[in-house]
Amino acid sequence: MKLSKMLNMAWLNLKQRKLRTALTTLSVVIGITTIIAVASLGEGFRGEIKQRMEQGFELDVLIVFPGSFTAGLKEGFSPEDIKYIKGIENVTLVTPIITIPLTENIELRNQTGVKLGAFTIGGVNFTEMREMLPQRFRLMKGNFPEENETGRIVLGYKASIVNETTVADVNNNVTLIVPRLPYGTLQSNFTVSGILAKGGTSGITNFDYWAFISIDDALNIVRNKEKPYQVILVKVSSVQKAESVAREIEKHFSPYSVTVFVPVAFARQVDGILNLVQMFLVAIGSISLLVAGVGIMNIMTVAVMERTREIGILKAVGAKNRTVLGMFLAEALLIGVMGGFIGEFTGCFFSYGLALILNNFLQPTSIKVGERPDIQRIVMTPALSPAWMVIAFLFAIIICIAFGMYPARKAAKMNPVEALRYE
Amino acid sequence: MSIILDVRNVKKSYRMGKVVVQALRDVSFNVEEGEFLAVLGPSGSGKSTLLHIIGCLDRPDDGEIIIEGKNVLRLSDDELADLRLKKIGFVFQFFNLLPRLTALENVMLPLILAEASDKESYKRAKELLELVGLGGRLNHRPSELSGGEQQRVAIARALINNPKLVLADEPTGNLDTKSGWEIVNLMRRLNEEMKQTFIVVTHDPQIAEVADRIIYIKDGLIEGVKSVSR
Repeated sequence: MKLSKMLNMAWLNLKQRKLRTALTTLSVVIGITTIIAVASLGEGFRGEIKQRMEQGFELDVLIVFPGSFTAGLKEGFSPEDIKYIKGIENVTLVTPIITIPLTENIELRNQTGVKLGAFTIGGVNFTEMREMLPQRFRLMKGNFPEENETGRIVLGYKASIVNETTVADVNNNVTLIVPRLPYGTLQSNFTVSGILAKGGTSGITNFDYWAFISIDDALNIVRNKEKPYQVILVKVSSVQKAESVAREIEKHFSPYSVTVFVPVAFARQVDGILNLVQMFLVAIGSISLLVAGVGIMNIMTVAVMERTREIGILKAVGAKNRTVLGMFLAEALLIGVMGGFIGEFTGCFFSYGLALILNNFLQPTSIKVGERPDIQRIVMTPALSPAWMVIAFLFAIIICIAFGMYPARKAAKMNPVEALRYE
Repeated sequence: MSIILDVRNVKKSYRMGKVVVQALRDVSFNVEEGEFLAVLGPSGSGKSTLLHIIGCLDRPDDGEIIIEGKNVLRLSDDELADLRLKKIGFVFQFFNLLPRLTALENVMLPLILAEASDKESYKRAKELLELVGLGGRLNHRPSELSGGEQQRVAIARALINNPKLVLADEPTGNLDTKSGWEIVNLMRRLNEEMKQTFIVVTHDPQIAEVADRIIYIKDGLIEGVKSVSR
């Protein structure tokens, strides 16, 4: 029997039982709708998170710390270490940071003695830092110090503003007070050169609470002059090279004496987790399609019983077992195709509807956007990838055929004499 | 005349609950090409079982069925289906037409299964329906036809593949006397005109009298054979 005739016959049979066909198809539609909606929202959410990660981290910048979880903190890096890293292939820029944490004893005060909002002093090469993190190392006002210029300080946004009052502005003088027991204190004066633009909470650290001075000034303050650098930022030629460069850096140091943070690996891991979550949700969504499959199996088993005599007639006039099998599978296939097709549309519709509800009614309301402008709302945008559409459609057809197989085989294997005798 | 069907020592029993029923004990006979044979017996005599076995719808427990010199019991299920499709036509007591299809489509069904072209199937089905006197009811569904008309459609369907053997199982059993005779006479006429072999199973001795030869069957055994002279 030709396939076209088989499908035609199946279509006639389905048309004969309109309500039953409609309800069976509806169950497939619901299954596909769920899968499409969950997959597209998950995909959209992943995209959103990925984008935020890319904004938060410069994916081509590695962050190198001394020590590790296992060995604890070690002394900093030496100029030789920096020289070595500079020599690694695919490294385009290396810049060290000397960190001076502002504790109870070490203080940064303005001319009137008010403490600034900074938590950390960073000794940096301003030119290299700007090149390293062009998106984040940006000024709101003032200028960066010139190369080799000392006695100048650049404040983070929150370092200059405490309780909505500006405590230090451009051209003001600030004083760094470091205790030098038993001799008393070391006081260094700096002129504010510029204020950094607001950075926000994203990324590895928040420069809003930092103040930056030149490397030379920092070297005058820290005690360990041989290994003064606590952080090294390493820019690689491309994101793909980040991990191989990280391995090269690790090779240079003794085990556990260095930690290289690779944002791209981190981002990938987060993406992997979100992918897993998405798959999990899709798997749950797929259960509804399985339920639809069981429904198809149920209704087709009934149909086979009802049409026993018809099957007998077909066999008597010369239909082969596989022809009977094909005729019933064709019905399952048609239900799958119809359900899948409609489900694609309702799925798209539903995912946009769901996104609309999530975005407008289910966002956290406790945080006022005015108070924390750096906390951005997550906007759910369904991402309907063609791959998911194809997968969902094929899944519908596979489920329908798989669950239709049992009743169809039952029909095919029927003994013609018994089938003809069936009342 | 050559032998078209040879039934040799066919035995068949089946279970009805816990009881084993010996439907055919040991049946042997043969049929010549172009013959109109009646198998006459009371209900439960095994005549329908015999017809099913001849028609390759069922397999005997023992014995041989030779159609055109070929032992069909050695064939696979698919090959038997093919044989039914190409060499055998069935007419049943309850017509057994597909309710959703029109008279024309019902007649075309074997050709559709045989993957013949639509045009050819249509032409042949129309011819046959005209031959059985239903030229004006091509597009009626079985529910819109009388019993006699439905049986004519069934006969047309049985003939569409030009089978060697036409098997009829109580073809008049569900019809009034007048329609019944019309059907029997139609089959006899087709047999004479188209030279196809007919085997008609019936419990009605009067109808059996139309045949060239009558085989009497009772309790699964052949009780006698009678040639009808004309």
